[in-house]
Amino acid sequence: MYLILSSIFFPILAGLFLLIRFRTPLSGENRAVSRKTLTSLIGALLVITAALVVAALMCAKDGFTLFYLTKNLPVCFRIDNVGRLFSMLAVIAIPCAGFFSFAYMKHEARESRYYGFYLLAFGVLNALCFAGNLITFYLFFELLTLSSMPLVLHNGSKEALMAGLKYLFYSLCGAYAALFGIYFLYQNCDSLTFTADGALRASSIAEHGGFLLVTAFVMLLGFGVKAGMFPMHAWLPTAHPVAPAPASAVLSAVIVKAGVLAIIRVVGMFGRDFLRGTWVQTVWLILALITVFMGSLLAYREPVLKKRLAYSTVSQISYILFGLAVMNETSFTGSLMHVLAHGFVKAALFLCAGAIIYKTGKTRVAEMRGIGKEMPLTMWCFTIASLGLIGIPPTGGFVSKWYLALGSLKSGLPVFDVLGPVILLVSAMLTAGYLLPLTIHGFFPGADYDYGGFQKKEPCRLMTVPIVILTMLSVLTGLFPDMVAGIIAMAITGR
Amino acid sequence: MIISVILIPFIAGILVPAMPFQKRWQKEVFLETAVVLNSILVWYLLLHHSDSTFLLAHFTGNLNISFRVDGMSMVFAGLVSALWPFATLYAFEYMTKENNENVFFLFYTLTYGVTLGIALAANLLTMYFFYELLTLVTVPLVMHTLTREAVLASRKYLYYSLGGAAFAFLGLIMVIVYGSTTDFIPGGVLDPAKTAGKTDILLFIYVMAFMGFGVKAAVCPFNSWLPQAGVAPTPVTALLHAVAVVKSGAFAIIRLTYYSFGTDFLKGTWAQDVVMVIVMFTIVYGCSRAVKETHIKRRLAYSTISNLSYILFGVVIMTPLGLVGALTHLVFHAVMKISSFFCAGAVMHQTDRHYVHELDGLGYKMPRVFGIFTISALALMGVPGLAGFVSKWNLAGAAVESGNPLAFGGVACLLVSALLTAIYMLTIVVRAFFPEKDFDYSTISDVRDPGWKMLLPLFVFTLFIILFGVYSQPVVDFFMGVATGAV
Amino acid sequence: MDFICNFPFFSILLSLFSGTVCSVLPAKAAKIVNRVVILAVGLMSAALLLYLLSTGESFIYWMGHFPAPWGNEIRAGVLEAGMALFFCIIMYLSMAGGAHKLPGEVVESKHNLYYILVNLLLSSLLALVYTNDMFTAYVFVEINTISACGLIMIRQVGRTIEAAVRYMIMSLLGSGLLLFGLCIMYDLTGHLLMSNIKESVELIVANGEYQIPLIVSVALMCTGLCIKSALFPFHAWLPDAYGYSTVSSAAILSSLVSKGYIFLLIKIIYRVIGFSVFNSTRMIDVLFVFGLMGMIFGSLSAIKENDIRRMIAFSSVAQIGYIYMGFGMGTQAGMVASIFHILSHAATKSLLFIAAIGLTDVSGGSRRFADLTGSAYRNKWAGVAFTAGSLSMVGVPLFSGFISKLLFAQAAVQVEGKMLASLIVLGISTVLNAVYFMKTVIRIYTATTETPYEGITFRHMKAYAVTLVFFILLNVILGVSSQPVVNMIGQGLAMFA
Repeated sequence: MYLILSSIFFPILAGLFLLIRFRTPLSGENRAVSRKTLTSLIGALLVITAALVVAALMCAKDGFTLFYLTKNLPVCFRIDNVGRLFSMLAVIAIPCAGFFSFAYMKHEARESRYYGFYLLAFGVLNALCFAGNLITFYLFFELLTLSSMPLVLHNGSKEALMAGLKYLFYSLCGAYAALFGIYFLYQNCDSLTFTADGALRASSIAEHGGFLLVTAFVMLLGFGVKAGMFPMHAWLPTAHPVAPAPASAVLSAVIVKAGVLAIIRVVGMFGRDFLRGTWVQTVWLILALITVFMGSLLAYREPVLKKRLAYSTVSQISYILFGLAVMNETSFTGSLMHVLAHGFVKAALFLCAGAIIYKTGKTRVAEMRGIGKEMPLTMWCFTIASLGLIGIPPTGGFVSKWYLALGSLKSGLPVFDVLGPVILLVSAMLTAGYLLPLTIHGFFPGADYDYGGFQKKEPCRLMTVPIVILTMLSVLTGLFPDMVAGIIAMAITGR
Repeated sequence: MIISVILIPFIAGILVPAMPFQKRWQKEVFLETAVVLNSILVWYLLLHHSDSTFLLAHFTGNLNISFRVDGMSMVFAGLVSALWPFATLYAFEYMTKENNENVFFLFYTLTYGVTLGIALAANLLTMYFFYELLTLVTVPLVMHTLTREAVLASRKYLYYSLGGAAFAFLGLIMVIVYGSTTDFIPGGVLDPAKTAGKTDILLFIYVMAFMGFGVKAAVCPFNSWLPQAGVAPTPVTALLHAVAVVKSGAFAIIRLTYYSFGTDFLKGTWAQDVVMVIVMFTIVYGCSRAVKETHIKRRLAYSTISNLSYILFGVVIMTPLGLVGALTHLVFHAVMKISSFFCAGAVMHQTDRHYVHELDGLGYKMPRVFGIFTISALALMGVPGLAGFVSKWNLAGAAVESGNPLAFGGVACLLVSALLTAIYMLTIVVRAFFPEKDFDYSTISDVRDPGWKMLLPLFVFTLFIILFGVYSQPVVDFFMGVATGAV
Repeated sequence: MDFICNFPFFSILLSLFSGTVCSVLPAKAAKIVNRVVILAVGLMSAALLLYLLSTGESFIYWMGHFPAPWGNEIRAGVLEAGMALFFCIIMYLSMAGGAHKLPGEVVESKHNLYYILVNLLLSSLLALVYTNDMFTAYVFVEINTISACGLIMIRQVGRTIEAAVRYMIMSLLGSGLLLFGLCIMYDLTGHLLMSNIKESVELIVANGEYQIPLIVSVALMCTGLCIKSALFPFHAWLPDAYGYSTVSSAAILSSLVSKGYIFLLIKIIYRVIGFSVFNSTRMIDVLFVFGLMGMIFGSLSAIKENDIRRMIAFSSVAQIGYIYMGFGMGTQAGMVASIFHILSHAATKSLLFIAAIGLTDVSGGSRRFADLTGSAYRNKWAGVAFTAGSLSMVGVPLFSGFISKLLFAQAAVQVEGKMLASLIVLGISTVLNAVYFMKTVIRIYTATTETPYEGITFRHMKAYAVTLVFFILLNVILGVSSQPVVNMIGQGLAMFA
């Protein structure tokens, strides 16, 4: 119990402390403490938090109730296997991106504010993974939006502020749609504690089945906002380019996954049997596939690198959602694996993009000719991660997509059992189309490349090491899928 | 005893201009003592109430002015008397920048007594009487600055309030004629023998009376006086136009619906549908106007409009749970909104800035005020763990439980409104804490947090916002008792 | 027959003769005589009222002890005595409140003429109240008209003459119609005494004969009195007449003269035609509709007005609309409400006129709202009084206006078909009242920093301030302890039947 609590509240309190103690100095110079102290302090905090989370994952067994919001509304925490999986992703990706930002944020003002909210978001994410019922989840879901919004608008430009607000309002809109559902779920369930096989009362299903389907759909759409599902995906491509690169990495790799986690929970609450074969499933499948295809297409047409990656996230998350919508175990496995695979890959990709921006200031793909010569290590990582995203063996992306396609084919759904894999395949090709040119032009700039201005721009270790770790992990998930699949199998069955 | 809590503010108020105070602090001590004493007295009265009715005067026939403490009056009187001392304290510091303090404090304190009169009234006529009186004693407060704007605002306020009372009056007549008594009795007083065959007319008059009292509760389309009345000094806008006056409207509607006409008579009729649609529309309308508004206090006023309709939404669900939701929001919204208004007032007092776009970067200079503002903003949005979530939860829960399809739409309205609330509140927070990159801090270098008289109330309110958010069970249980008639 | 039964006759004669006496007295003495007469009549009415309450029944007084049909009869019941008492109170207060303005308004040489007219007015009012004879009523209606005209015209400004002429024409039209109606009635019944006519009317109705002439006669009499009491749409003469005459005249005219005619109409309804017969004619619906319209349009005109006294005058149109609405309901309760409103409106309207003059005085005599800004600070008493009057008009509890509204609404609820219309119009009219009265109240309490006008303190207007206090008290008494008054009205109506 204390491990869980401390893994949640230690970073939150630390973040608040940072925000209050090191209120941003008004001019850039007279900082309260030297930058070195600050970064080492935060590094220590990140490591401690990560350690706490790992300890909680390993040791904590029982759930517990912290307090009651109102009668019958407990705030409670519990670690289950789905939560464990997401938590694993978070506990790796967030510190990596955190260390990366020590280098990346060197020239940005108000670092302490950034780190303060970074830690807050970390703690809130942990709480999301460990939440034991829908209300607790909702509580931290809102807090996640609020604490990650300052990361998006950090640099304070007009566009950043607008993007931050857009992110905020999209997310809240989704959260409130979800809350609408929670109100009705509360009336029709005995309790809001998470389960995987439906908590609705039989009598309620008989009485208001139709309305409950609407409710389920509204909740899907609502949480789908966070997951960037069409039609509420527009905040992603706006928010990512303006946020600092490590923030984008976390946003794209982890925070967006909170939406996925939410949807898994919701489907669990309603029960797959209740939803399977209804119009909700059909519409959901359609939306997911539209998003997959549209995201890739938009990414393909996008000239700005970070925005391209953002559209790619839109597309890739809907792979996961598609897998969930198919609603069989194989596709569910695929989805969960894609959570991990995409998390590592996308974090790596964004960090690479960040490194490029940090070193060269270039943001558009067209400017990046020959970048592979200048930053070989970064670009190698970028390439390997790209392969993972496209789904080429031996990366994690291949395994997850394999499962997804397989699950879809096995599902016996009309039309979608074939249409799904086809669209996934087309999208994979588009992915190759928008990622590989960077590698190709980066390493093979062509005959007319001017080698005169050439210089090595490889970034410092603080940047490269996180990138390399994340890249390696993305490959490892593909090399040893059994290990991951094992956990997932536990998540599906062992509860 | 019961009459004394109404009279003490009257006497104290009238003494303010009459007494020869040498120094300002003497006046402050005098007023604060009177108000605090009165509040203590009210609480004593509420906690040790007997069920007897105190008859003050006899009008015609069976119409009389009398007072009684029942569950509803405990809620409203308790709320008002808890907030008033803090608001007075705040006003001491705020009013240093305004003229004519004596007149202000005279009427400000009078209003306390009148509001208690509404809360403690034992029958519809008494309530109506104090309701009209409330309009009259608050007009000078709106008019206080005597600018053209203030005069126009107070005129409008008067027209609307008196006009509304005129239609509420029709409801009073119906209860006199068709009811067995005008006293407040849970479940209503309409006499089935007399009402037979006149249902539609009674319902029509109920809708009229609802709208009439609704004028004070700023129901659309009678809401425009409230934002305009924001020209009054902040203690007035905060306490009266977010709590005392406007909630009197809501309180009167609760009395009318639950204690005079009775929910059995109204539930499931077209009248319920009509008022519910109006209320739902107001919820969304108020919020959307708040989003468009750039003047801070007016924005908060529009927010009040929307939130008052939350309360009314709970009322028109017409189930005990609905009343619980309404009461929860009545109390919790009071704390949240007064807190945010006081923050806005503190900003205006310290910096003379009135518009949202002037707030850039102030969060760093007034961290306490804006920190508290952020908390109240989050609470108003309904973030779990703060008071607003609990009241919205109760409201939505009641709506869902009632099984009325229209009420389901109301839940959707609540959520749309929550989103809009987020938009209009958080844009302020974002501006204050995240100014644009090239913001020049030297423009606000001499801004600082206000003194303790302003901050203390803010801290107390914030404490309660959080306390209600995480531990509201006893309060909600009490409301449940009130709604079911157990208290 | 007790001695006290002579009082009605005495009061009429006393006021009539004092009028004559005044013509030879110097102005100052005339003023004293006038006050004393009003007081004396008031006292007599009060005594009579007490007497009647104790005996519990009305009496008929034969003038000169000639029995009808040769003699002339006076009838006194609770309602008549109460009304006479009330008229005296209002008249006394109005005279007292406007006294200080008189020298400025009327040339010195005409002062005793002024008092003659007031006394004549009083006597004619008393006669209208007490008479039991239609022809006597008609005669005093004319006397009333003439003295009222004189009161309007005595302030010799261009507009008053125009107003007086207008008033004269409209009034004569009204009395003409009344006379026609009377003639037809005489033709039908062969009587002039009210009680006799009533008997015959009952017979005619029972036989089913002469229906149309009867209705025509009723309609003519009603219309005539409506014109005279300025029911919408016959109100065009009113704003000028009330707006430009002397203060006291305005107060008396608005609160008493029109009420005298209305009271006569009540008498005709009850004593001549019979309540049930009257209700069976279409006349009540007509009165009802025009009453409602008056309530709305009077207020609308008042809102548009930019002259405080004309505004108050227009407000009278609305208030008279209330009274006719009460008639139109055709129930006892409606009638009680109407009669109570006669009292309440009289008390309030004269208060407003008197208070308004205090306000205009400290604003350089201007009645335009722009100049009145902040005048309540310059004359605090008038400000408070005007506010009290306005609140009463709007119908705020504690003031008399609230009770009349309450009575009207309660009466309306009992009338199936007219309930919604009257309730809604009542509501709307309250809103409109609030608009123009509260606008004025706020205006006079809006402090201005630079004003060319001097304030006035209590020391310089003792009599005036005291009058105002009495008016407010009268209002509050009617508002707080209305039950005895309402009971009395009910008792009086019962005696009519």
